[in-house]
Amino acid sequence: MPRKVAILITILSLGLLVVAAFHAPEKRTVDMMAESYATPWQLPPFGADRMGRPLLDYAMQGAHIVALPAVAAGLLVTLLGILGGLVRCMGSAQLESLVSGFREMVGALPRMVVILVVAIVMPLEWRSLLALALVWALLAAPGAMDEAAAVAGRLGGARFVEALRAHGFSRARIYLVHVVGFNLRPVVVRQGAETMMQVVFLEVALSYLALAGQYTSFTHNEETTKSWADLLYEGYYSIALGIPSGHALVLGLGLVAVTAVAAVSISTAARAR
Amino acid sequence: MKRWWAQPLVRLVVAVGLPLAVPAIITLLIWALPGDPASRICPGDCTGVDGLAERWNLDQGPIHFYTTWISDAFRGEFGNSWQVVTGTPIRELLLPALPRTVILIVLAMVPLFLASALAGLGWVPRKLDPLFQAIGLVPAMVPALVVYALVFLAFGAAVDADAQAIRIKMLAGALILGIADGALSGAITGTRSLFDNERKQQYVLVAQLRGEGVLSNMLPNVAGALVGQLRARMLHLLSGAVIVEALLRIDGLGDFLWRATIQQDFGLVLATATAFALVSSVILACQALVEIVVAWHQRRAPVVSPGVA
Repeated sequence: MPRKVAILITILSLGLLVVAAFHAPEKRTVDMMAESYATPWQLPPFGADRMGRPLLDYAMQGAHIVALPAVAAGLLVTLLGILGGLVRCMGSAQLESLVSGFREMVGALPRMVVILVVAIVMPLEWRSLLALALVWALLAAPGAMDEAAAVAGRLGGARFVEALRAHGFSRARIYLVHVVGFNLRPVVVRQGAETMMQVVFLEVALSYLALAGQYTSFTHNEETTKSWADLLYEGYYSIALGIPSGHALVLGLGLVAVTAVAAVSISTAARAR
Repeated sequence: MKRWWAQPLVRLVVAVGLPLAVPAIITLLIWALPGDPASRICPGDCTGVDGLAERWNLDQGPIHFYTTWISDAFRGEFGNSWQVVTGTPIRELLLPALPRTVILIVLAMVPLFLASALAGLGWVPRKLDPLFQAIGLVPAMVPALVVYALVFLAFGAAVDADAQAIRIKMLAGALILGIADGALSGAITGTRSLFDNERKQQYVLVAQLRGEGVLSNMLPNVAGALVGQLRARMLHLLSGAVIVEALLRIDGLGDFLWRATIQQDFGLVLATATAFALVSSVILACQALVEIVVAWHQRRAPVVSPGVA
């Protein structure tokens, strides 16, 4: 994918997510049974669910649920990745040992197990996707730090910084522009984008499983808000029971695909020229 | 080379400590967060919180709770399930669940092993990388949903009881785990880049000039990194197994962990998380043992003086 196209797709997809999140209806739409399972051409743009509620509301409320946590988790991973790269460039053995210890400890357990344990021990009023997304980001950080440290190591680590110092560059310029801006950027942005995508998929998976078991969701209040998982749940019945809700499935899968394309385009847009 | 044993030793220590540390950390979390542990574990509609606290040893502080739980766990006693299968000993739930999860992971490793081996040998065309990466972007839950719907159509109400349906779900689940969520593309690109970097080493070129096998020369040097990648992939599969088992309704550790979490069955969560830690420990210990064998093999090689090298 050409870089300019990737930048355009990134702006469009993130813009769409933010606009949808900001304009999402706060409350559940009133049921309109006359519009039950209305197709996209009967009730544009996406049709309606079994209760006649527009699927557009589902898409927008789902965006509202994931937007902030996904971006926050992506930023946290990006920052921690930068930290991992900078520590390698600083050439401090003690700091590197500390970071390595953090990586070993955090990386020793499957992420989903930790997420579920955190979900059960967390006080009910603290339970939200943001908290789970930040935990997910912390668990994803060792991989990002490792990769950023490897990039910084290939660059020459502390010797690279010394060489640029000899050329008269300030430390701030070396670390922020040369190390982070020119060299770590592709890696840490890709890791951040992947984490954003994973957080969205995590929300969809957790909400879908809660829906399937008729339990309360960890990530949002399903009395007032609908997640993208609801679209997949509605759409699932079109395969399993032949109910005419295929348009919900298509929309749900489309949103999953848009998330994946956004993550790829962000990575491509940030890659080295 | 001087302290070749340090890294494997650290891994072995972590492997031994992990199953002890996981319940300790959960215990610490329960007491560190604000509020009463008993009411947090059983919020909302629970009645008789004091009785519950006493029954679950939550009334005498974290150390008493942890030591009692660990000493019982060493005897294979994890108490009874409160919610998921009320009153059933957790041991009876976890003993059949553990092999199911292990089988699922082992089966999921098959495509990954094959892909890694082919990529290491350079038999996977680079042109196919975008295709594998595109497949890797698919979250495991999407194919799992489709598979469950299709199996449901084929078997109807017996979807979770029929032996053949369970076998199909296991095989499909393993395939989904092995391909989706970037598992396959990661295995191909990770192994290939490892071997590509090693092929650039001088000793490989020398081995080629001497007419020796390239792979046999490279393997001892990349074995440690390969096993490291393998461990990361297995952890990734274990994480994905929670979602796949829950969606396909495979009664494995992941499914129990999910059901226990959603139904606030704290005892089952504690035991399942510790079981996951145990599996993770076994993988970690295997990595340490491979590292020891590799280091031992490398130290058996004749030392070449710097002048000759």
